[in-house]
Amino acid sequence: AGVLAAHKITASSPDTDLPTVSGLRKMGVNFTVSNKDTVKSSDVLFLAVKPPIIPFILDEVGPDIEPRHIVVSCAAGVTISSIEKKLSTFCPTPKVIRCMTNTPVIVREGATVYATGTHADVEDGKLVEQLMASVGFCTEVEEDLIDAVTGLSGSGPAYAFTALDALADGGVKMGLPRRLAVRLGAQALLGAAKMLLESEQHPGQLKDNVCSPGGATIHALHFLESGGFRSLLINAVEASCIRTRELQHLADQEQISPAAIKKTLLDKVKLESPSLSVSSASRVSLFANKSPSSKKN
Amino acid sequence: RGRNLWRTGRVRAAMEAVELRVGFVGAGRMAGGLARGLLRAGKVPASSILASAPSDKNLDAWRESGCRTTHCNLEVLQDCTLVFLATKPHVLPGVLQEIRPAVGPHHIVVSLAAGVSLQMLQRLLPAGTKVLRLMPNLPCVVQAGAMVFARGSGAGDREATLLKNILSSCGLCEEVPESYIDIHTGLSGSGVAYVYLFAEALADGAVKMGMPGGLARRIAAQTLLGAAKMMVETGEHPAKLREDVCTPGGTTIHALHQLEKGALRATVMNAVEAATNRARDMAED
Repeated sequence: AGVLAAHKITASSPDTDLPTVSGLRKMGVNFTVSNKDTVKSSDVLFLAVKPPIIPFILDEVGPDIEPRHIVVSCAAGVTISSIEKKLSTFCPTPKVIRCMTNTPVIVREGATVYATGTHADVEDGKLVEQLMASVGFCTEVEEDLIDAVTGLSGSGPAYAFTALDALADGGVKMGLPRRLAVRLGAQALLGAAKMLLESEQHPGQLKDNVCSPGGATIHALHFLESGGFRSLLINAVEASCIRTRELQHLADQEQISPAAIKKTLLDKVKLESPSLSVSSASRVSLFANKSPSSKKN
Repeated sequence: RGRNLWRTGRVRAAMEAVELRVGFVGAGRMAGGLARGLLRAGKVPASSILASAPSDKNLDAWRESGCRTTHCNLEVLQDCTLVFLATKPHVLPGVLQEIRPAVGPHHIVVSLAAGVSLQMLQRLLPAGTKVLRLMPNLPCVVQAGAMVFARGSGAGDREATLLKNILSSCGLCEEVPESYIDIHTGLSGSGVAYVYLFAEALADGAVKMGMPGGLARRIAAQTLLGAAKMMVETGEHPAKLREDVCTPGGTTIHALHQLEKGALRATVMNAVEAATNRARDMAED
């Protein structure tokens, strides 16, 4: 998005063999295996490790956190107060911001919300908002809404991918080649979403505008209604939100010995995706940024 | 000069409504509902209304309202200009044969018979007769009806305007192509029953939660009335009105989720479709 020069970004990971690591290097990002180095050379620190690892990272980098640092956690289910509690042993007033984003940040159409911690100022929030707004929509919320956001836009892309897969199947069933079916399905959803965002009309009204009396669309919609389409989506958002709360609750309980978790998880981490202290914490190719059509802001 | 003609036309139309003699062949529930609506709105004086029926059973109520009654269908045609045919559908062809000799070019014949097409009506009446077909619904009785009508080949703008004028006293009245009439049956003719079912279920829900039945039913009725009134008066899309009631995480959205789980929307669409198809099937019989 051109918001930040690559050399101003530092990323760290214990495992240097992963494709995401070489991808970052190619972009010109500074790379190191030392989390401490990352902290020292940064003002805004994105913690993009898996949620169970957060406590260990905080223990590790805590001593190096200074008043200037803004610690931004993207970890699902990890509360601001738990991070502040951990850091307060090292720093009296740590600035903590919690955010929930989603994978389409990769194509700069992310949906991000953030909540500010006790010691984060308005300017700190605005800075994070500015950064995240460069990769999509970003707005501030109360922390207690973050689980709902997870259910809706955090998991949302998965619902969309599922829908797109099925739509493509429908197209293929009716005779379209697969690639074309996928392309058209994706474009239909993209276009519809764009229309809704740019319109003042209610989605119900927009739906009506497509449904000519006795026509194809209303026949199709009847099928969707019969299948309880709407309630399935409501159920999905609800389930994701509730599960997020459950996981958070389990994490809070801390009943397993930290040493045991550490060993198990760190082994697991070596086998899976890396823990990078940079915002893109997924396995998707980073080279998507280089596509010529950047439809953003 | 043009303005004067317009004014004269309006005055004439108004006078026609007052002088108009309105007849009903068949005096059952639907006819009674329309007549009651006309009377309550003061569109037509009771003395200008004549209703015919084979027995006195239905006619007593008409007489009590001040309308004139007869057992002779022909008399209605001889006495009235605007004649509503409100017999049961299977009886209608016989009635049409009976009254045909008395039907003239001044008559406006409006059939309420479900499933009897304009084509059939025109076939059984003298050529060129001004025929229209009307599909009302029950709440015409309380002047909150929903009616659609279609004009036959002999009926023109004047007849359509007159009918719409007269019937607006009973509720919403719109002219439509004949093909919409069966759909109107499924949506609004039968639709009234869907609403009663829904109202009953609402009340049952309240009873389950501890409210007495009588109170629950009164509140259910008022809820439907109020919601419908808001739709009519604000002209807003129902989806928008629904949204306005749904506070985040509140009671309404929880309840709506239950309705969606039960695929209420699809079920209602099924109902409208079933009734419409049945109307179409019956018409073919």
